[in-house]
Amino acid sequence: MRRFLGSLRDGAGFDILLVGAAMVFLIAMAGLPLIYNVLMSFQQVDMFTLGSLIRPWAGFQNYIDVVREPAFWLVAKNTFIFVFFSMGGQFVIGFALALFFAQNFPGASTIRGLFLVSWVMPGLVVGAIWSWILAGDFGVLNTILKNFGVISSNIFWKSDPAFSIWAVVIANIWLGLAFNMLLLSVGLAAIPRDLYEAAELDGANAFQRFWTITLPMMRSTIGAVLSLGLIGTLQQFDLFPAITEGGPANTSTVAQFWSWQMSFKLYDFAKGATISVMMLILVLIASIIYVRSTRHEVRG
Amino acid sequence: MTRPYIQWLLVAVALGLAAVYLFPLYWMYITSFKSGSEIFANPPTFWPREIDLSIYPNVWTRRTMHVFLWNSTLIAAGVTAITVIFGTGCAYVLARYRSVWVDIGLFSVLMLQVLPASVMVTPLFVAFSQLGLLSFPRSAVVLAAAAKAMPFFVVLVRATFMTVPRELEEAALVDGNSRVGAFFSIVLPLARNGILVCAILTFMSSFGEYIYSKSIIQDPALQPASVGLSGFLGPNSTDWNSIMAYSAIYVTPILAVFVLLQRRIVSGLTSGALK
Repeated sequence: MRRFLGSLRDGAGFDILLVGAAMVFLIAMAGLPLIYNVLMSFQQVDMFTLGSLIRPWAGFQNYIDVVREPAFWLVAKNTFIFVFFSMGGQFVIGFALALFFAQNFPGASTIRGLFLVSWVMPGLVVGAIWSWILAGDFGVLNTILKNFGVISSNIFWKSDPAFSIWAVVIANIWLGLAFNMLLLSVGLAAIPRDLYEAAELDGANAFQRFWTITLPMMRSTIGAVLSLGLIGTLQQFDLFPAITEGGPANTSTVAQFWSWQMSFKLYDFAKGATISVMMLILVLIASIIYVRSTRHEVRG
Repeated sequence: MTRPYIQWLLVAVALGLAAVYLFPLYWMYITSFKSGSEIFANPPTFWPREIDLSIYPNVWTRRTMHVFLWNSTLIAAGVTAITVIFGTGCAYVLARYRSVWVDIGLFSVLMLQVLPASVMVTPLFVAFSQLGLLSFPRSAVVLAAAAKAMPFFVVLVRATFMTVPRELEEAALVDGNSRVGAFFSIVLPLARNGILVCAILTFMSSFGEYIYSKSIIQDPALQPASVGLSGFLGPNSTDWNSIMAYSAIYVTPILAVFVLLQRRIVSGLTSGALK
């Protein structure tokens, strides 16, 4: 017993205690719910069996039911649009800004830091602001676009089925842009300057330097940013209740919002869990890419 | 190097880009300063004709914001406390050793971070209802949100601990300190600033926590400000100047802290974010 206490105070027991406490907490609050989620997706869950662990076994019935939902393919398409274009927009604009702020001018890092403001704001507030900017009749975005002659009549971003998902995509690009830019800036700063000088002496133009030095040197950073982008986009939830609530007629519902609606609006916890498990597979793929792309980095 | 006027041109472009990017924030404040009729002016005015601040006290009392903000503060404080207490030790150990086990530990911590909250909320809700935790909804939200916030904290704080020289801790051990003593009197004080920045980040992000609170807390007297905002926000809202005033009251403290600590936050993020 004394040896045990001694090791806690002055030995490997101390390390194990520190890691163990965090791990036990994480496993209890994240690991077990995850397994429970998979279990529920194979069970019949309703208001009567909500309180019990052992419920009637449903096999793959929940999965079949979810796929047969009339909204399933629409939601799948929306999720794809949301993920692909949010990531694309965040990455391309973020990369352009990172390249711009990598130029050497006074105040570059301070002004760049201002962009991170979006990152600390509550998602729901960002959603509220964009909901107002995108409003159909009095929204400021329509006015700006009309003044520049891009559109001739107001776009009803939130209530037009053709635009509702894009309204959320625009807001999400704004929200995630700063983080992308920051990570890409870190990657850019790590490229040795003399590579560019050597290329310039050899007569490479700016485009060639970007294509043959910047992109290859940034490969692991880009992999990490894209997979973090995929994970982050699939986590994005707050913008949906704030801007469109998934409407009109599910045209802006994505998987994570649909899953939540199933559980907490329709109280169909089994279907909510089933959709979650389907999403989980996507997230797992992204994580594997992320781990592979950071594996070669030097730790320290 | 480059000629000076190009430098100033770059600064001007940078400021222009920042202005475009921060326009939504400007629009939030400006809308909240406008009167109820001016917000529906067509075309919209980019500077209010007359500044009308009466909406602020109005929203504050009508929406019982002191209750909501107090709950937000409580939840964020709880999340931060749990995250710092459990996460700091974990990050310290993960930074101290290099072995396969550390890689496995780090990987599993990361894996637990990638799960969307909207995925976790269904099993957590059902499990909490079975355990009877739903009668203490704020504590339930704190537990759930802390598990969500901790992996990010561990990864960032681990990077901070990596910068503390091993030799200092070893010197303390040679001088007769126990591991516990060396940890509390040498390593922790040296990593204090990094931990503080990460704790503030955790506090700010859980101050805006929405999905767990919305799903778990039913009683309006216990809900945080995000749920309070969602109560009068939707695709058909028209009450825009109160919504913007509410948002402004909600985010101004966060923004103030961010602007004050901007340098530290950015450097904390850049050192740990990619590792």
